[in-house]
Amino acid sequence: MKLRIIIVLIAGAGLMACSSRLKVQSATNREAVSADTRQDSTLSSIIQPYKDSLDKRMNEVIGNSNNDFIVARPSSNLMNWVADAIFVNQTRNVRLAQPLICLLNTGGIRSSIGKGNITLGDIYKIMPFENTVVWVELPVSSIPEIESYLVKSGGEPLANCKLEKGKLVINGMRENTTHIWVLTSDYLMNGGDKMDFFKKKTNFNSTGKLIRDILIEEVKVQGTLSENGELRITN
Amino acid sequence: MKRRTFIKNLTFTTGAIALSRFSFSQKEIKKVNSKLVILHTNDTHSQIEPFPANHSKFPGMGGVAKRQTIIQKIRRQEEHVLLLDSGDIFQGTPYFNTFNGELEMKLMSAMGYDASTMGNHDFDIGLEGFLNAKRFANFPFLCANYDFSETILKDQTQTFKVFEKAGLKIGVFGIGVELSGLVPNEKFGKTKYLDPIETANNIANELKSQRCDLIICLSHLGYEYADPLKISDRILAKQTENINLILGGHSHTFLDKPTIETNKKGNRVLINQVGWAGINLGRIDIDLERGLFVSKFVEIK
Repeated sequence: MKLRIIIVLIAGAGLMACSSRLKVQSATNREAVSADTRQDSTLSSIIQPYKDSLDKRMNEVIGNSNNDFIVARPSSNLMNWVADAIFVNQTRNVRLAQPLICLLNTGGIRSSIGKGNITLGDIYKIMPFENTVVWVELPVSSIPEIESYLVKSGGEPLANCKLEKGKLVINGMRENTTHIWVLTSDYLMNGGDKMDFFKKKTNFNSTGKLIRDILIEEVKVQGTLSENGELRITN
Repeated sequence: MKRRTFIKNLTFTTGAIALSRFSFSQKEIKKVNSKLVILHTNDTHSQIEPFPANHSKFPGMGGVAKRQTIIQKIRRQEEHVLLLDSGDIFQGTPYFNTFNGELEMKLMSAMGYDASTMGNHDFDIGLEGFLNAKRFANFPFLCANYDFSETILKDQTQTFKVFEKAGLKIGVFGIGVELSGLVPNEKFGKTKYLDPIETANNIANELKSQRCDLIICLSHLGYEYADPLKISDRILAKQTENINLILGGHSHTFLDKPTIETNKKGNRVLINQVGWAGINLGRIDIDLERGLFVSKFVEIK
């Protein structure tokens, strides 16, 4: 299929003594190349050994699970596992001066984990995105916005806190707490999924670490996935 | 015998579509060799293979082996082709995480890329990681506003390169996005970020003084932002002189046709960007005989 729009304008003649009369043309041309566009064989042969090696790598078993881990709102074992994995990974050997929670997005967990062996490819399926973990500092005044977001969305992965009857119960909160830290993804901090409360951030720290890499690390640490099916969002 | 070809993207007439105008000395046109075809990509993000057939947005689309088929077809039809990339070659599929950019560089070299600039994701495995991958590249990286002089990338990139194609002198340079906040500090180390507008102006003026007929900026600034003060390609175009064409990246913008801006001198600047992941191959044809400036892009489905 070829769609071509050509607009031809005649520029003013004689603008420049030595220039020819010019046509000025712009065209948008979409040459739709069908799904079976031939693959160049030279390039394919460069790719093939890498692809074979990659496929092999993706089939590597990195752990196992005794149950199916699934995504289901308001909270589920896989949502809890992902949030806990990031929380645990980021707080090893860290002393917290302020309360810290982990808040991700349910939509960001793209697959489930079946009972049995877990391959590297399984973790890529769960987290195909190249999102990294960020630490975001928020004033406590933004907590009501987080609460109403969670109520409205029906549930997002949480760690180190619970939403009970629309109120966020955060471990380590004290009366004089002015700010909390939130472990989340760069995608959400930068406006993804309209978590607008992140606009009120007073500080942030990019780790540069891919969420996926953290999940891979934690599967390897755990060996057999530790399951926590508690409801972290309750009415 | 001295070739004198003038490209002056000057006044523009009226109408809904704003355009660049190239003018040539009438006498010299006959000597000029037909057509220059500029092919370009941006934000290919390690999309080596096509997207899977069940992909929600781009089923079966993209993939470098298909891109190469199209490039080869164009190379058979056209004598003078310039193939450029505007950065973010890295990050997006396990190919990158597994092979650290080696395959991307090999494939771009095999496709015959003439030059690329660096995007923020090209810093994702640090300067050393980039340098290791770059060993597999046979084309230069053009970075005018990253000062690498105190890093291991010292002398590994160029600010600009002048190509001679179709009887034209074509100056190409690269402008990158500010890394602080986008890339963890330890990844870019002692790289100094230079003001993109000021640098672009200086380099474009330098290229002009070297009698370049066409000046192309490979930009990874992003097309435009809600924040009117955030530097983007549209601002770059407006606040500089002497750039004819900005091939952009970073914002993953799918432009149906190039945008035309007016620069500081009142001349027209063309901006193009073709989405991401190698879904499209950007194409801008400059018909030298008739003074036509034709843009198109090829969708890789």
